[in-house]
Amino acid sequence: MGLLSLRDVQHGYGGRRVLAIRELDLERGSVAAVVGPNGSGKSTLLRLLACVEAPAQGTVLLEGQAVRSGADRRRARQRITLVEQRPFLFAGTVRENLRYALSLHGVPGPGAESRLSAALERLGVGGLGDRNARGLSEGEAQKVAIARALALEPDALLLDEPASAADPASTGALYRILDEERSRGAALCFASHQLEEAYRWSDRLLALTDGQASPVTPENLFRTDLPPGSGTKTVRAGPLTLQVYTDKSGPAILALPPGDIVVSAEPLHSSARNEFKGRIRRISEDGRGGVTLAVDAGVDLVVRITHAALAELGLTIGSPVVLSIKTMAVRVF
Amino acid sequence: MDFFADGLRRGAQLVLGGDAEVFGITWLSLRVAVVATLIACGLGVPLGFVVGTTRFWGRRAALTAFNTLLAFPTVVVGLLIWGLLARRGPLGGLGLLYTWVAIVMAEVVLAVPIAAALTAAAVQGVDSRVRRTALTLGAGTWRAHWAVAREARFALMSGVMVAFGRVLAEVGAAMIVGGNIRYHTRTLTTAVALATSQGDFALAMALGLVLLALALTVNLLLQLFQGHGAA
Repeated sequence: MGLLSLRDVQHGYGGRRVLAIRELDLERGSVAAVVGPNGSGKSTLLRLLACVEAPAQGTVLLEGQAVRSGADRRRARQRITLVEQRPFLFAGTVRENLRYALSLHGVPGPGAESRLSAALERLGVGGLGDRNARGLSEGEAQKVAIARALALEPDALLLDEPASAADPASTGALYRILDEERSRGAALCFASHQLEEAYRWSDRLLALTDGQASPVTPENLFRTDLPPGSGTKTVRAGPLTLQVYTDKSGPAILALPPGDIVVSAEPLHSSARNEFKGRIRRISEDGRGGVTLAVDAGVDLVVRITHAALAELGLTIGSPVVLSIKTMAVRVF
Repeated sequence: MDFFADGLRRGAQLVLGGDAEVFGITWLSLRVAVVATLIACGLGVPLGFVVGTTRFWGRRAALTAFNTLLAFPTVVVGLLIWGLLARRGPLGGLGLLYTWVAIVMAEVVLAVPIAAALTAAAVQGVDSRVRRTALTLGAGTWRAHWAVAREARFALMSGVMVAFGRVLAEVGAAMIVGGNIRYHTRTLTTAVALATSQGDFALAMALGLVLLALALTVNLLLQLFQGHGAA
């Protein structure tokens, strides 16, 4: 049981279900990343975790205690903070914004001043304190909003695309601050559509597809429209033509699990019905003892192989390769 | 044209000379308008806030009702309140007909939909992130509502001023339930109507000037308030 947990949660808007999570735990001193395409339910998930909205079904738990009533949620929000993707700053100066947040936490004047100054300094926006919050650039506003959240010293800090308006240098600085917060013992969770960012800065990745935890990592996902009937079907997935085996029809999501894709120098004489030619664009450590290849096959495909395979095939950036995957290995959601 | 200029001149003399009757009528009008606006906003602003910020069954119907009531004919409101307060009416025993309280009642009925509709529009126009942000920062429901009201304060203030303006300038209902009794229920608007029908153009003009001056003052105050807020 984590600091903040979801159990059998379902939520939707206007009769449309946007989120269904069976189990999720955010632990103290850990960073979880939520990844997925636009509209996959990332923001809804964060709002439920932040106790800003109550789930239509299921339970949010804080330290194992169910957060049910409005009063429970209010108490939970004193310990959890969410920074939204396009954060809102109230009319007034930057300092007034932080002061307001601290006043909601009952932090009085002198204590508040030192805390808010420290928070602004940490984000490198100490000089903006007396500026009108509405006159800030998008990047500055995002930093101020994060500083406003940090000033509250929350037990759980949730961030929706925290680096969406940041340049590469500030992105690194920002995630290092989140790392410090983790060391302080906070539970962190951020949503991102940047997979690399998510992999690099999180301990754990939650991939969302159409509001559900996806069993595969969110690389190589394609939206498609399946023809009626059951069995083997040939479908278009982006620029690729794929053979899949499914009973489903209509709109669906196809996933090519990166570990199930076979890399070879020449086309294989094998049972794999799907073959694509491409070139290696990037080779990186996957952080789990293997190697991740980004292969341009008309669309970027992520493939995971071992160091031994990489060495044996003599692959380098720019090498032409053939990717193969069995019909049965293509996942259909 | 001379007739017009002459009326204006003599009207100005009456106002500047501190004519007791003009002063009395103005005082009554202001009293009615302020009391009616306070009550109407006390009822209408929270009502509009709820309708504007919460989702419930019948919300659209409530909004449509407010907007329809904005165009409620004032004489019909006068008639309804008259029916309520007339000796044979359900509230006849209170003996309020032809008192300034009766005028306040009619004006409240007219101003509540204005306060409610403009408040609903004002808070609906507030960025949905305001409430959510307040909540994420640890606010309870009331503090979050307050944050929304604070963001909408200029629009809310305009709503209050529009309600005040409507009450101050209203003539039909005030005439019916107040009876336009000299020194008792004669307001600026009913007095202008009477003076005009009696051919006392100067008095009508004097009262009209006062009305205009009041409307101007209210608007200047509003602008001053908004100017301070924007700074």
